[in-house]
Amino acid sequence: MQQTDLPVQSARTLIKATLGAAILAAITLTTIILPAEYNIDPTGIGGALGLTELNTEAVATAVPEQVEREGQEFEYRSDSVIIEVPAGKGLEYKLHLAKHGHMEYEWTAENGQLYLDFHGEPTGDTTGYFESFAIATATEMSGSLTTPFDGSHGWYWKNQSDQAVTITLKTKGFYSVIGLKQ
Amino acid sequence: MPLFAHGIDDATKVFLEGNEGVSIIPFLYIGAKHMVTGYDHLLFLVGVIFFLYRSKDVLIYVSFFTLGHSLTLLFGVLNDTHVNAYLIDAIIGLSIVYKGFDNLGGFKRMLGYQPNTKAAVLIFGLFHGFGLATKLQEFEFSQDGLVANILAFNAGVELGQFLALAFILLAINYWRRFDSFLRFSTATNALLMSGGMMLVGFQMTGYFVG
Repeated sequence: MQQTDLPVQSARTLIKATLGAAILAAITLTTIILPAEYNIDPTGIGGALGLTELNTEAVATAVPEQVEREGQEFEYRSDSVIIEVPAGKGLEYKLHLAKHGHMEYEWTAENGQLYLDFHGEPTGDTTGYFESFAIATATEMSGSLTTPFDGSHGWYWKNQSDQAVTITLKTKGFYSVIGLKQ
Repeated sequence: MPLFAHGIDDATKVFLEGNEGVSIIPFLYIGAKHMVTGYDHLLFLVGVIFFLYRSKDVLIYVSFFTLGHSLTLLFGVLNDTHVNAYLIDAIIGLSIVYKGFDNLGGFKRMLGYQPNTKAAVLIFGLFHGFGLATKLQEFEFSQDGLVANILAFNAGVELGQFLALAFILLAINYWRRFDSFLRFSTATNALLMSGGMMLVGFQMTGYFVG
């Protein structure tokens, strides 16, 4: 039945049709399909047409190292300190942040866990008031802080083990360093 | 996730992964939608029916295609056979190139005889079915009610194919009334081949970079 009903083209027409099809496919692939689907753009035409946008991964808006924050009293800075907490002892490490000052921190304890109290004390307060942001026993912690008041902010760490624990603390933000208090 | 020739959209994916038990109508719908929006299957069907003038022939050829892809769809999902989606979709692209070239009388000219067109449609039907199975397997849907759901999906595929075919046939039959049909038949089948080649290139690139 249908087997013989297909019109048979001349060899010349066949070659023209096949070559034409291949050329059209190659051009469409390299200039349109591959740029749009895979962001592969050998000719640059896909990019010029805006097609590569379709496949660009949502690039996380790069967070600039230097964050411009209005009204910060202190300069932006970043620090890394190593603090040793002797066996059975406690100590404090403090930074001074102005009201609504912002910083990011992360610390890890090298060889043991520590009891900690992350807190702030308002400047000029004489009642001994302080506000704790976190109380825990941990080997590491990271986060950020935007302070509710002007004052010294930081960590009280207590080493309850019988060997010294080393902390690596990294901070960046708008503060000045007060430092270690035994 | 790279775009497959006819991936299953996110809402459907959520449904499939959350589904428990037998859900005939949703699976029927997904199968139908998959076929109606699956342009690679549709291009192949255009190639198959391009020179079929009688409804009876259309029915016979489409039945061969249906038989082929139903077999591998059921076999693939039930046996948990995983075939690389890019390779299967590249072969589906190749089936379009084959049919376009065949419609130009290319094989008859080159080989001196016409390879059995029904067998070709059946064989490519088998590959299309593996493609469907692979798409369905990309989702971890429940084993509960699996057979009934695959059968519903397959029935949906046929329903969608029937719907799509009805439109393609209407358009082609209308076009056949004009001289331009034969005048442009060579160009149309060359375009069909080109479309198939684009699918092959698209899928093989995905295979190597994806």
